[in-house]
Amino acid sequence: MTTISTSTSAFYERSSMDIADLRSRAEGLQADLSRGQRIARSSDDPVGASRLRQLQRADSLSQIDVANAAKANTNLQLTDSALGTFADYVTRIQELTTQAANGTMTDAARASLGTEIAQIRGNMIQLANSRDVEGGALFGGQSAGDAFTVDSAGNATYAGTGTAGDLPLGDGQNVTRGLTGPEFLKLPAGSGQPDLLAALKALADGLQAGGAAAVQAAQDGLAALNQGMDQITTAQTVVGTRLAWVDLTTERRTNLGEMRSAEETDVGGTDIASTVARLQETMTVLEASQASFTKLASLSLFSLLN
Amino acid sequence: MASDLLSIGRSGAQAARVALDVTAQNIANASSEGYVRRSARLAEVSSTGGMGAVGDVSLSGVRLEGVVRNADLFRQAEVRRTGADAARADAEVAGLENVQAAVEQSNVYNAMVGFEGSLQQLVGDPTSASLRANVIESARTMVGTFNIAASALDAVGTGLRFEATDAITQVNTLSGELARVNLRLARAADASSDQTSLLDQRDSLLQQLSAFTDVSTRINADATVELRLGGASGPLMVQGGSAGTLGMTTAGDGTISFAVSGFTASSAAAALTGGSLAGKAQALVKLAAVHARLDSLADTMAATVNAAQTAGITPANAAGQPLFGGGAPFTAASLTLALPDGAGIATAPASAGANSRDATNLNALRTALGSADPVGGMDALLFDISGTVQGRTVTRDALRTIASGAQVSLQAQAGVDLDQEAVNLVRFQQAFQASGKVMQTAKDIFDTLLAIR
Repeated sequence: MTTISTSTSAFYERSSMDIADLRSRAEGLQADLSRGQRIARSSDDPVGASRLRQLQRADSLSQIDVANAAKANTNLQLTDSALGTFADYVTRIQELTTQAANGTMTDAARASLGTEIAQIRGNMIQLANSRDVEGGALFGGQSAGDAFTVDSAGNATYAGTGTAGDLPLGDGQNVTRGLTGPEFLKLPAGSGQPDLLAALKALADGLQAGGAAAVQAAQDGLAALNQGMDQITTAQTVVGTRLAWVDLTTERRTNLGEMRSAEETDVGGTDIASTVARLQETMTVLEASQASFTKLASLSLFSLLN
Repeated sequence: MASDLLSIGRSGAQAARVALDVTAQNIANASSEGYVRRSARLAEVSSTGGMGAVGDVSLSGVRLEGVVRNADLFRQAEVRRTGADAARADAEVAGLENVQAAVEQSNVYNAMVGFEGSLQQLVGDPTSASLRANVIESARTMVGTFNIAASALDAVGTGLRFEATDAITQVNTLSGELARVNLRLARAADASSDQTSLLDQRDSLLQQLSAFTDVSTRINADATVELRLGGASGPLMVQGGSAGTLGMTTAGDGTISFAVSGFTASSAAAALTGGSLAGKAQALVKLAAVHARLDSLADTMAATVNAAQTAGITPANAAGQPLFGGGAPFTAASLTLALPDGAGIATAPASAGANSRDATNLNALRTALGSADPVGGMDALLFDISGTVQGRTVTRDALRTIASGAQVSLQAQAGVDLDQEAVNLVRFQQAFQASGKVMQTAKDIFDTLLAIR
């Protein structure tokens, strides 16, 4: 018959190691509960920890996209309202020009109309030189100074850069942050004038000069104004589309953010229900092993010998 | 007939007395470290018939043949081997966990993400002074975390090498004591108490040594031991009464190697595969690899940013200066911030004018950083370390279980079981009482003979 004997010291060592092991497991579960995070160090779950790092990186970059999108939104709103004002100015000038094109007007009346048109043109140039939310030129692309410079004769030349530049909105999406002056003031080829401001200057000068040329100038001016209005309306459509695009990407970013935080909770958060259940189980086993150890340790043959 | 009832009884009583002493010795040393359970081996005293008395019936009682140590050489060797494996795994996991903490808790990854984010924010308004200052501060934080990670890794390496030096001192001390025990064992008489306590000491020294390094032993006929380090083909460490000296050399990258001197003309290299020394050596190898990868990540980040800086112009229409300093190639410890002011960041391409809001150069930098991806490389490094730690932890737990199994198996044979000793007490007490009764009977018989008138 084979007997398996256990030495006394081995029994005590094994029992104390088992009880210490159970205790440290219970303490680990309790720490998980109080921290709310399942992963204390990366080695607890390397794959999960790496996923969490990537999610947190995407989160922090997405926060910056929110700021950029808000900036783009504000600039585009400013552009939109400026274009609306431009359209109002052009409508007023169209009324005045229609009056001036009437052959029954006197030269003096036409000249005063021309002065008013020149005044409105000055306002338009000032509007074209307005600032955006960062202090740069709203219609000047990426330059820091004025979009249009006016020389002593009153001619306005564009002094900005070719494009307005893109703002990143996240996920590789961009939006062009504004319009440059030529993009909505330029008249198509064959209309006689390069842009609307030059056409208006020619119109105002012609009306103020008077004579038969004034009526001709008024009629040319009407044609140019119609084309200019078309350009402005087209530009307004473009800006409206861009604003809608920014809204779309904002909505998508919010959805992605919600998905990311759901995944973060899944991967790294403590599931309270199951952790509490495991803790209860471990504590029950710990109590049982402590009680059985006490019972076994009190058994000794020496106490029975006398 | 030459048997003597009285002397037979006397020998029985004596033998029972010795056995009781051995039992008491076991009970007293039940918790002594390294004590092997003794048992008394009793044998019959046989006597042949003499000249002219062949065919005689002669009985002479019992004698104590020897005190036996109940220790199996194989089980002891198993305990040493598995103990060395478990000690190696322990030391390696502890070292690797420190390496992981050094890199993870220095927060290099988050600082790199913060720098990346600050560049992305700058695209929104390239000439804004506050956003530029933000970029400089993020860069400063990132440089600081790189420096912290490098110095923390150095501290872990220094700690591991210090512990290894201490372990080597212990190994040399234990080997010296083993050599002295060998000398005394060669002189001790067989099966005497002197020899059994020396054997206990020898086995305990061997077990302590196996916690530091894996040993290969050869027990000679006179119970002295010949010790080699690192397997049966390793260098000789203890032979007879002389012991060698174990030494450690540190390489340039911080890894350590071992050699034994004293037996051969030049020191013999020792390739240790078990024990805490081997574990620390392996942890140092991994530490050197991690440090090299951290340095190369710092180099990638700094070189990419500096290259983009020199390709563009600042708002003041001057050529961009390098943002990071510290020499090429950049290392995590030598990385510094060279530009103190946000005005020196070159966001515009070389063809733009002063105060340009053209962010082409900045976008080129972001694209270059995206394709070189040092942030992804940092994540991969952290994943590598944490995966290694997790794998080694699983190995360590398994080796611990195996080692404790071998211990239990040895203790089952060599450990004192108090229940068993209580039974022995009763048994030998009864034997003593019975032998005393035998002597009483002999006295009665003699009295009967004397009473004949």
